[in-house]
Amino acid sequence: MITVVPQPSLDGKRLAFVLTEDRLGHYPEFRAFFARIFDLDRVGLTRPGYLQVPSGTVYALIFIGRSGEPFPSGVEVHGVVSALEPIDEAGVDRDLWSILRWMIEGVGGEWTADAMEATGRLFRVPASMDADRPRF
Amino acid sequence: MTSIDLPDIVRRQWPFRPRFACVNCWRMHYVDEGSGNPVVLLHGNPTWGFLYRDFVAPLTAAGYRVIIPDMIGFGLSEKPSREQAHSLDGHIANLTALLRGLDLHRATLVCHDWGGPTGLGFALSNIARVKALVLMSTWAWPLPPAEFHTRIFPWRMMHAPLLGPYLLGRHNALAGRGIYLSVVDRKRFQERAQAAYEAVLPDPASRLLTWTWPRWIPLDASARAFDRFAWLERELRACSLPALLIWGREDDVFDPSVFIPRFRQLLPHAEGPHLVTGRHFLQEDSGPEIAAHIIDFLRRLA
Repeated sequence: MITVVPQPSLDGKRLAFVLTEDRLGHYPEFRAFFARIFDLDRVGLTRPGYLQVPSGTVYALIFIGRSGEPFPSGVEVHGVVSALEPIDEAGVDRDLWSILRWMIEGVGGEWTADAMEATGRLFRVPASMDADRPRF
Repeated sequence: MTSIDLPDIVRRQWPFRPRFACVNCWRMHYVDEGSGNPVVLLHGNPTWGFLYRDFVAPLTAAGYRVIIPDMIGFGLSEKPSREQAHSLDGHIANLTALLRGLDLHRATLVCHDWGGPTGLGFALSNIARVKALVLMSTWAWPLPPAEFHTRIFPWRMMHAPLLGPYLLGRHNALAGRGIYLSVVDRKRFQERAQAAYEAVLPDPASRLLTWTWPRWIPLDASARAFDRFAWLERELRACSLPALLIWGREDDVFDPSVFIPRFRQLLPHAEGPHLVTGRHFLQEDSGPEIAAHIIDFLRRLA
């Protein structure tokens, strides 16, 4: 389960950049989802949002503003990881997939987790694959 | 020279001298082989000039000058790092800068995928430089090109916010699996060509345009490119340039039963269609056959 959490202690940690989106409002319901979850109309740029994923890792969502566009225009996803240690790439990939699934379920409507999982399987994304699922 | 290390199997099939031009403030790679009236071969998403490797020898042997640019953001051309660097008008301007810089006249534009809107954008604003058009698995009107492009699975999900950078960026889904699924002879593609498309997009940041182009396809009248596509449709309807339609018989995205009649409405004088073995990336399955159709078409025009 993904949970929104307060800012964790950053002692001995670094923010590891893992994914970015320049155009969060390409489909406006995605921007609206993040604005709602993190109260961004009130919070603005004052602080990142933090998510804890099932692996226990916390991710910081750093929202980006762009003149002339609704806020947020973009977002960067950073893992909060041990300062001097390399990140576990496969683990990050699974964590990102779980964040994306949480996002899709939150956006809702025509955006379904089933469609997302099917898209992942179509492209054989490791995080979406398991032995019981059909292969395209 | 290019900084991308192409695998040997790619170099053997792509022995052409790399050339670079500064176009519209970007560094564009292209090849320029042979002499005669120019034939400009334009690729789309997520390919590069390699898609036309089987066209160069027959066209140059037939007496044509072959120019194959890599769109800015793809192939061996410069790859901008921000999505906002890409726009349909900007890409038309990039191509215009190259073709005017080469001072091309009597050029035939061969347009595939996004090579259609960009190539036609050049052609319809530089008519005096253009002799003919060849259209393959592309479109030039403002509403969604196909029902496929309106669906969540897989099209809109594939390039949705954050999903696009994850699937097409981190996992290179379009240049790898995406093209693979859109050819007929997948085994041959895997053995001979897939490495060429993956090698030039070696890291997530380099793949930016693969999820940016899908976002430029208009789904309704509020879309960024709606007016430009409306202009393309209007200008194409008034265009009397000789035209040839070539399509993949198995193209299940740009379905020939839908797209050919649509183009014939705009260009009633167009020749064809020649239906060849192929899905969306028909050049992979039928390159020499398509090249022969183009040569035959151009010889008759002469």
